[in-house]
Amino acid sequence: MSNKPQRRNYSRRDFLIRGGLMGAGALSLPALIAACGGSSKSDSKDNGSTGAGAKTLFFENWPAYIDEETVADFEKATGIKMTYSEAYNDNNEYFAKVQTPLANGKTIDADLLAPTFWMAARYINLGWAQKLDKTQIPNAANLRADLRGPSFDPGNEYSMPWQTGTAGVAYNIDATGRELKSVADLFDPAFKGKIGMLTEMRDTIGLTLLSEGVDPSKISTFDEAAPAFEKIAKAKADGQIRQFTGNDYMDDLSSGNFAACVAWSGDVVQLSRDNPSVRYIIPEEGATSWFDTMLWITGSEQRDSVAKWINYVYDPANAAKIAAYVGYMSPVDGVQDELMKLGGDAAAMAESPILFPSDAEKARLRTFASLSEEEEAKFDEEFAKLVGA
Amino acid sequence: MSLVIDQRTRAARFAERADYVGLISMLILGFGMVAIGAGWLKGAAASALVIVLFAVVVGLIVAAVMGGSDVRRKMAPYGLLKPGVLWLSLFFLAPLWSLFVMSLSAKTSRFDFFPDFSWHWENYRVALTDFRPQFIRSFTYAGTATLLTLVIGFPLAYVIAFRGGRYKNILIGLVIVPFFTSYLIRTLAWQNLLADSGPIVSIIDSLHLSGLLESLNIMNQGRLMNTPAAVIGGLTYNFLPFMVLPIYVSLEKIDARLLDAATDLYSTSGRAFRKIVFPLALPGVFAGTLLTFIPAAGDFINAALLGSPNTTMIGNSIQDQFIKQNNWPVAGAMSLVLMAIISCAVLVYTRFLGTEDLI
Repeated sequence: MSNKPQRRNYSRRDFLIRGGLMGAGALSLPALIAACGGSSKSDSKDNGSTGAGAKTLFFENWPAYIDEETVADFEKATGIKMTYSEAYNDNNEYFAKVQTPLANGKTIDADLLAPTFWMAARYINLGWAQKLDKTQIPNAANLRADLRGPSFDPGNEYSMPWQTGTAGVAYNIDATGRELKSVADLFDPAFKGKIGMLTEMRDTIGLTLLSEGVDPSKISTFDEAAPAFEKIAKAKADGQIRQFTGNDYMDDLSSGNFAACVAWSGDVVQLSRDNPSVRYIIPEEGATSWFDTMLWITGSEQRDSVAKWINYVYDPANAAKIAAYVGYMSPVDGVQDELMKLGGDAAAMAESPILFPSDAEKARLRTFASLSEEEEAKFDEEFAKLVGA
Repeated sequence: MSLVIDQRTRAARFAERADYVGLISMLILGFGMVAIGAGWLKGAAASALVIVLFAVVVGLIVAAVMGGSDVRRKMAPYGLLKPGVLWLSLFFLAPLWSLFVMSLSAKTSRFDFFPDFSWHWENYRVALTDFRPQFIRSFTYAGTATLLTLVIGFPLAYVIAFRGGRYKNILIGLVIVPFFTSYLIRTLAWQNLLADSGPIVSIIDSLHLSGLLESLNIMNQGRLMNTPAAVIGGLTYNFLPFMVLPIYVSLEKIDARLLDAATDLYSTSGRAFRKIVFPLALPGVFAGTLLTFIPAAGDFINAALLGSPNTTMIGNSIQDQFIKQNNWPVAGAMSLVLMAIISCAVLVYTRFLGTEDLI
């Protein structure tokens, strides 16, 4: 393989744990509480009113989750000024940061946020999202059929997906010594102390549920998911599970500390370029699929800019540029063809089974059901006990 | 005529009570800061209070300047205390009070962002029962790490203080050098050192020591990473300078002639160490153990980066409750329980060691 041009060094979740720790480490706990409180009084109008009609659109996204040209191209094409920030490192942490101002009815800096689907559901349920002006987003028709109308937002009135991906099993063949095929392999005693799982509850529990023959998209109570929790608790007590991680699993997987782990598809696309021993599968029992959204937050007055931005990134040609860079599955129809047209590396990605799974693999993908507030609390609490926090 | 006498007596009376004036004004100012910090007063009322407090400060300065040297001498200690008292009132006492209120509040739903104060002692029950393993683990790990830093740090400080000669300052500087990089980076470096395919494990393997280390419970399934030993090792490494520096300061002050005198009186060097050096170093040992144990008990970075799901410490749990679970009341209760346990332990320890003077 020839040298790849400037690939991002970090995937979108890369800063998860480290960024969080660095932030938290810098602050003592009382300071942390105080920090969670304020910080967001300045309102978004300050950013934009440099001249009459000048507007700044503020998009808060995950780190390294876009190519390097799209923002500039968008500004050129529409005349809208844009502030693209990458401070969205963790769903829960970001929520903790903005909950106080939003609950107090104040505005935050950002106009658009990129919460993962279940967190988007929370914002919408709390009334912290605004209805998009769909008349200005004709390209919304390009949204992949399988992503249309999630249960928390039927009709996509509040949210549009940003990128999507799967959570399956990744393994380092040097450490496993064999190809893996199933989630059950994660519980193989041969890999005792060499298994990693994600701190993202829906992916770890969802995958384990699939291995127990339970469809995570159809559960509604904790009792239905209890077998997965018991299975993981046992594996943890036996020393099968080495650690629950955020994105730091990439180092462990590459170095062989983890023989196998639950992993996100795009990360492994990245990692396997440098280390061909690292492989990713959608296990035979199935895998979870997830998507991150674009959500217009309350208090923002950027109705037109938000709509124009979403319309812009839902143009398949523009979406293909982003997909070629980030390595995740685009939510936009027609991206595969556009990637082919781009040629070179992008064309190679158009043939990647991780970006574009086969129909048989697609049939095995499940999105974790949306949970009621009470049930979600129970899931989170029990999962925190598993993770050991 | 009588007017002049009157003024003198008033001035004299003021001079007599100048220290009370200083003390009371300091308390008022501190209380005012807590009132602002804890949010008892908001908006216009808070601004008014700030103006009043500012006026009090200006008044005190005027009184000190106008009054005689006697007044100034009496008021000076309170004047010098004031910056510290105000700072700590606003940034320590006020948040502590808020934390206390939060720890006795109850949430009506998961996304109730303004829990109401209701003497909800249940939070403390949850903190003490659900998180008992984490509390026990934290104090065990912190205690072990403190002992290890003492065992490693005392000889180090001893050699630098007594045998360092003209390299003393350089050597003690080298102890502090690790602080030039961030705490987090140093701990991440340990991840590489302890990795399964890393240098330390490969040396152990080639020396065939892994069986021994497994039986000592230091290694687990042939790995060092993500074990209790790794967490304790990380804590020991990261807090070592906090042990070395105070012991060094104590040892450095010891008059070498005392040891000469002991030798003259036919004491063995071991006995001289036991009877002279160690007792005189105790204040440093005392300060070092506190500086190590207290932050180590609340640490969460080592457990997060070097530990496993079976080695989480209370700091990890508090962070999780605050940030991920949105459960501020229980997290507040956990924080206060941690503070209370540490305070009690320190009090007992102080009594036990009997060194009232830290320096």
